[in-house]
Amino acid sequence: MKYLLVIACLFSSLVMAAEDAAVAADIADVKRSVLELNKDLYALEESLLSPSTMRAELYFSLTNGKYFEPLSVEVTAQGMKPVQHIYTQRQIDALKMGAVQPLAEVNLGPGKHQLKAIVRGRDAMGQNRELMIEQEVEKQDKPLLLEIVVADDDSLQSARASLRFW
Amino acid sequence: MGVIYRLLFLTLFTTRALAGPSLLAPGQMVDDFSWPSAVQGQPGQRLAEQRGYPVMLIWTDDCHRCEERLARYQLLAQSYRHQGLVTWVIWTPQKNKQPPVIKLPVLEADPHWKTGWQLETTPAVMMINGDGRLDHLLTGGLADNYRATEKLLSVWLSQQPGKGER
Repeated sequence: MKYLLVIACLFSSLVMAAEDAAVAADIADVKRSVLELNKDLYALEESLLSPSTMRAELYFSLTNGKYFEPLSVEVTAQGMKPVQHIYTQRQIDALKMGAVQPLAEVNLGPGKHQLKAIVRGRDAMGQNRELMIEQEVEKQDKPLLLEIVVADDDSLQSARASLRFW
Repeated sequence: MGVIYRLLFLTLFTTRALAGPSLLAPGQMVDDFSWPSAVQGQPGQRLAEQRGYPVMLIWTDDCHRCEERLARYQLLAQSYRHQGLVTWVIWTPQKNKQPPVIKLPVLEADPHWKTGWQLETTPAVMMINGDGRLDHLLTGGLADNYRATEKLLSVWLSQQPGKGER
C-alpha cells in the first residue's frame, strides 16, 4: 500500500512538472507573439507617420577635410522642419575618417522645394568659413535620400559643398 | 464651466511647459544638449558624449570677458582633470558682450540652437555624474559659491568611479 502511495505521489509530481513545462512554453510563445505584434505595430506606426511619399533623409559627409572642418550645419526648406546639428571633435574626426552621418529624417511633401544648407566651419588657416548650398530638389512619391558632401578642391585649395542624390 | 476647466488645464500646461529646465533639481536626469563653442573656430560639445565621466557645468550670468570671475574655477577644474572631471563654462550671448577667454571650453547657449536648453536660475554650478544624473546644483553668485563648490567637488569626486583623465 505504501509503495502504491509513493508511486502515485511520484506520478502526480511528474504530471505537474510536465504541466508546468507546458505552461512555461505557452508563456514563451505568448511573449514571442507579443514581441512580433509590437514589431508589426511599430512598422505600421512608422509607415503611417512617415509614409514613403513624405519621407526624406539627409546625410552629411566630408571628403578629406584638409581645407575645411565643419562646426555646424543648418538645413532649411519650405514645408520642412529646419535641421540643425553642432559637431563635436569626435564627430569631426569620424567624418575625416570617411563616416557618413545620418543627419536627419524629415517629412517633405511631394513637389519642388528650394533647399538651403549652410555649413559653418573653419578653413585650413583656422578662419571661420561658411559653405552654402541653395538648390531646388524635387520630391517624388519615393523616399528622397540626400547627402550633403563637403569635398576638398586641390586646385582652389579650398572646399565646396554640394548635394548628392542617392 | 467647461471653459473654466479648459482654461485651468491650459494655464497649468503652459506654466509647466514654459518652466522647463528651470525645474531641474538634484536627483533628476539631465537632458542632453549640443552647443557650439563660444570661441570662434572651436568644435561644439555634446553632453551625451561624456557619459561615464563626471561633468561640472558653470553657468555664467552677466558675463562680458569675465575671466577674472572664472579664474579660480578654472584652476579648480584643472586640478581635478586627472580624476576625469570634465568642465565646461556655459555662456549666454548678449548684445555687445564677448565670451571669457579661458582654457576651459566655453559653450554658447544661444536659443537659436534647438539642440540645447536654458537654465533660468543663473549663475549656477551643476555637477552631473557619469550616469547623466544631476547630483548637485548650486545657484547664486559664482564668487560667493566658490568655497562651497570647492568643498563639495572634493567629496563628490571621491564618490565617483575613477576613470582617469578624459
